[in-house]
Amino acid sequence: MITPHVLDPEAFDVLSTELIAAFDAWSAGLGSWDEVTIDAWARRAFRLQFEGNRAYGRYCEARGVAPEDVTGWRDVVPVPTTAFRVVDLVVGSGAAVSLTFLTSGTTRGRSNRGRHLVRAPELYRASLRAGFQHFVMRGRETAAIVTLPPSFTLDSDSSLGWMLDDVRAGLGSGDGIGVATPGGIDWARLDREVSESVRSGRPLCILGTTVGFAGWLDRMEGGRSPSVRLPAGSAVMDTGGLKGRPGVQRSSVVRGLVDGLGLAEDAVVNEFGMTELLSQRYGYGDPAHPLLGPPWLRSRVLDPVSLEELPDGEVGILCHYDLANLGSVCAVLTEDQGRIVGDGIEWIGRTAGASPRGCSLATAELLEAQGRA
Amino acid sequence: MLEAWHLPGLDAEPAEWLESQTPNGARFRAPALSAAQAGTVAQEVRRAALEARFARTSEQVIRSIAAAATKLADDGPEGVAARGLLRAELGWDEHLARDTLDGMARTWTAEALTGLVEAELGGPAVLDGFVPDAEWVGPGHRSRRALGAPVVLQVLAGNVPGVAITAAIRALLVRSGVLCKLPGAEPGLLPLFARVLFEEDALLGRCVAATWWPGDSFPAAWREWARWAGRAVVYGSHAAVEAARGSLPADTDLISYGPRTGIGVVLPDTPPGAVAELARDVCAYDHQGCVSPRLVYVVGESTRRFVEDLARALEEHTRRHPPPDPTAAEAVAIRAARTAVEFGGYDDGRSAVTAPGDSLAWTILAAERPAAQAESLPRVVWVHHVPDVETLEDVLRPLEGRIQTLGYSGSEELQKLAGIAARLGVSRIAPFGTVAWPPPDWRHEGRYQLLPLLNWTDLETPE
Repeated sequence: MITPHVLDPEAFDVLSTELIAAFDAWSAGLGSWDEVTIDAWARRAFRLQFEGNRAYGRYCEARGVAPEDVTGWRDVVPVPTTAFRVVDLVVGSGAAVSLTFLTSGTTRGRSNRGRHLVRAPELYRASLRAGFQHFVMRGRETAAIVTLPPSFTLDSDSSLGWMLDDVRAGLGSGDGIGVATPGGIDWARLDREVSESVRSGRPLCILGTTVGFAGWLDRMEGGRSPSVRLPAGSAVMDTGGLKGRPGVQRSSVVRGLVDGLGLAEDAVVNEFGMTELLSQRYGYGDPAHPLLGPPWLRSRVLDPVSLEELPDGEVGILCHYDLANLGSVCAVLTEDQGRIVGDGIEWIGRTAGASPRGCSLATAELLEAQGRA
Repeated sequence: MLEAWHLPGLDAEPAEWLESQTPNGARFRAPALSAAQAGTVAQEVRRAALEARFARTSEQVIRSIAAAATKLADDGPEGVAARGLLRAELGWDEHLARDTLDGMARTWTAEALTGLVEAELGGPAVLDGFVPDAEWVGPGHRSRRALGAPVVLQVLAGNVPGVAITAAIRALLVRSGVLCKLPGAEPGLLPLFARVLFEEDALLGRCVAATWWPGDSFPAAWREWARWAGRAVVYGSHAAVEAARGSLPADTDLISYGPRTGIGVVLPDTPPGAVAELARDVCAYDHQGCVSPRLVYVVGESTRRFVEDLARALEEHTRRHPPPDPTAAEAVAIRAARTAVEFGGYDDGRSAVTAPGDSLAWTILAAERPAAQAESLPRVVWVHHVPDVETLEDVLRPLEGRIQTLGYSGSEELQKLAGIAARLGVSRIAPFGTVAWPPPDWRHEGRYQLLPLLNWTDLETPE
C-alpha cells in the first residue's frame, strides 16, 4: 500500500543547514564523525527522503523498509544509478531544484543520460569545498587554481564544470583562471600561466580531466608546450579516467606530469566523482592509492548477485552513501567494481556490459546492427 | 585446467599455451599454434576427410557420429564427463546439464541425422556417388553427386552447449573435414565429442580439429586454416562476421549465422497449462538460446493475470531446479532493467516488475504499451499487451529478419499470426513447450542446414 508522503516544508532546510555547519566544522578540524554520528545523520536523512522524495519512498516501501527500520547508514535502501535516468529523484517539489546535472551518457548513450536534481547548491558547495580543501589544497592556500575543462557557463549540464568553477572562485588565491574556450583548451594561455608561475614562484593548482592532461603531455612531447618545474606547493588534480584514449594508462600520465611539471608524485591527485554523488574521493599518485573522502561519504562493497556486504579487500559492486545528497537520495548502488582498501576504496572499473547470451542478443543491438535504432 | 583442443596431426607436445577462463571462471587452455603447426593440422584433416570419402559410406559416417554424440548424453563415462564440463564451464547443475544434453542428443541420433539428410538431399546416396536425376528432361541421362568442400572452417560463438557439435556434424555429414575455432564461453564440449568420435572411428576423429584463441584476433593459425578451407561458417555478432569476412581469401564462400531473438505470443484462447510450458522454454539452456523466448505479447486481455500465472510457473520451475547465479555483469544489467521498469511504473502506472524479491532467479517486466525491446538476460521476460494479432505486425516490424522462433499458445487467429510471422522472416512457429527444442531438420535461420555446404557435380551421358 502506498502511504501518503508528508514533508514538513522546512525539514529539508533545517537539516541541510545543520549539515553545512557540520561539514564546515570538519573542514576546520572540529567535530566528530564516528559511526554513531553518521548513523544519527543517516536516520534523519532517510526519514526526510522517505517522506519527501515520493519515488524513493515508494521504492523503499516496495522493499518493506520504513524509517523505523533504519538504524544507520548501512541500512539505507540504495537506489541503482539507472533510476537517475528514469525519474526525478528529489526531495519535495521539483520547483525547488536550482541545478540539474546530467551524466555523460558513456554507458548508455547520450540520449539516455541520467540527471541529478540538486536542490541545495550550498550543501553541494560545502561538501566539495571541504573535501577539496582537505585532500587537494593541503596547505596550498596561496596557489592559483587553473582549470582545463569547460566551465559551467560553457557546459551547463556538467557537475564537474560547476565544481571546478566553484573551487576556482572560492579556494586557493581566489584569482584562478579557466583556460577552456568554446573551441577547446587554450593551450597558449595555459603555457603563459605556467611560465608566469615559474617566473614569479607562485604555485599553481591545475585541475582537469585525465584525458586533457594526456593531451597536454602529447604537446610537451612534441615540443609545443614547455616542460617546466612548477614552484613548490603546486599540484595537479585529474579526473574522469582515460575514456577515448585506448592504450594509455593513467600511470603514464602521472609519470608524465611528475616529469613534465617537476611535481612530487603525491602532488598528482586523482579525483573520483560521479554525477549521482555530490561528494568526491581523492587518491595520490599512482598506482592506485586508496581513494579517500570526507567522513560523510561512505562506501560499501557488495556481492553483485546477493547484494550482501563483502569483507574488506574483496572485489564487488560499489555502493556509496553520501549525506551531501540530502536533496535526492543518499544511498546509490553503482555499476562499478571496486574494493575497500584501508580507509578508502579502490575503483576498479565499470562492470563490463552483460555479454549476449548464447546466440541471442538484446533487441537494441539487433536494431543498431541494422541501422534501425 | 580444461583442455580446449583436439588437433589431429599435432604430434609434439605444444611449446606454448593460450589460457583463459569461461565467464563462470573455469580455466582452460589450448596450444598457441604456429603457422606450420596449423598447416600440418589442416592438411591432416583434409587427408582424413578425403580418405573417409572412399573408406566410409555416409551411412557408416552417420552411425559413428550418432554413436559418439549420443554417448555425451548417456550415463557412461563420456556423459559423466560432458555434464561435468558444463557444470565447470557454465556453473550449471546436473539437471540443467542433463536436460540440455538430452535435448541436443535427440537431434544427434542416427535416425535424426538420416532424417535430416533425407529431408534435404532425398537420402545419403547422393553423397556417396552419382544418383540418376529423375527430373532430367534433356537428351540422354543426367546423374548428380553432392559433396562438401574437403575442409570447412567454422568460427563458433556463444555458450549454448551442443551448438558447436551440431555445426561440426553438419560438415561431417557432407563429407567435409572441419577446422573449428571454439567459443571462449563454452570451449570444452566439441573437443570432448571429437575425442569420443576418434575412439569410435579414428579416421572420422581425424576429420575434426578444434582449438581456441582469443576472440576477434586472427593469429597465424587462422590465416593458415583460412588458406585450406573451401568454405567458412561463422557464428557470432555482425562485427565478428564482418571481421572474419575481411580476413578470408576472396574466393572462400562464407555462411554466417547471426544473433536472433525469441518471441512468445499468448493468443486469446490460451489454455491454463500453457504458462508452465512457456516457463520451461524460458528456463531451457539457462535461457541462452536464440530460440529462448524473451519478449511475450498477450493478445486481447490485460497482462496482469498472465503475469501472475507466469510468475508462479517460473517460481515453481526455479524452485525445483535452482538456476546458476548470473555473472556480475548480468546481475548489474538485470537490476538496471528492473529499476528502469519499476520507477517508470511509478510515472505511467502501467509498467511493473514481478520478481522473487531481490533474488535474480527470474524477472518479469510488464508493460501495457506494446514495444519490441528486450535485453538478453537470464530468465528475464518482457511481457506486453497487444489489443489484437494484427497489431503485432507493426510492433515487431523493427525486428524483421531477426526473430528466430515464435512460440505461441492457443489457436484463435493462429493462421493470421503465422502469416505475420512469415512476413517478418520468423524461421519457426511452435507451441510453448517445444520452442527450445527444434526438430533435427529445422531450417535454422530459415535456411537449409546441409545444402549451403554442398558443391554439386552433374554427369550428363548420351542415350
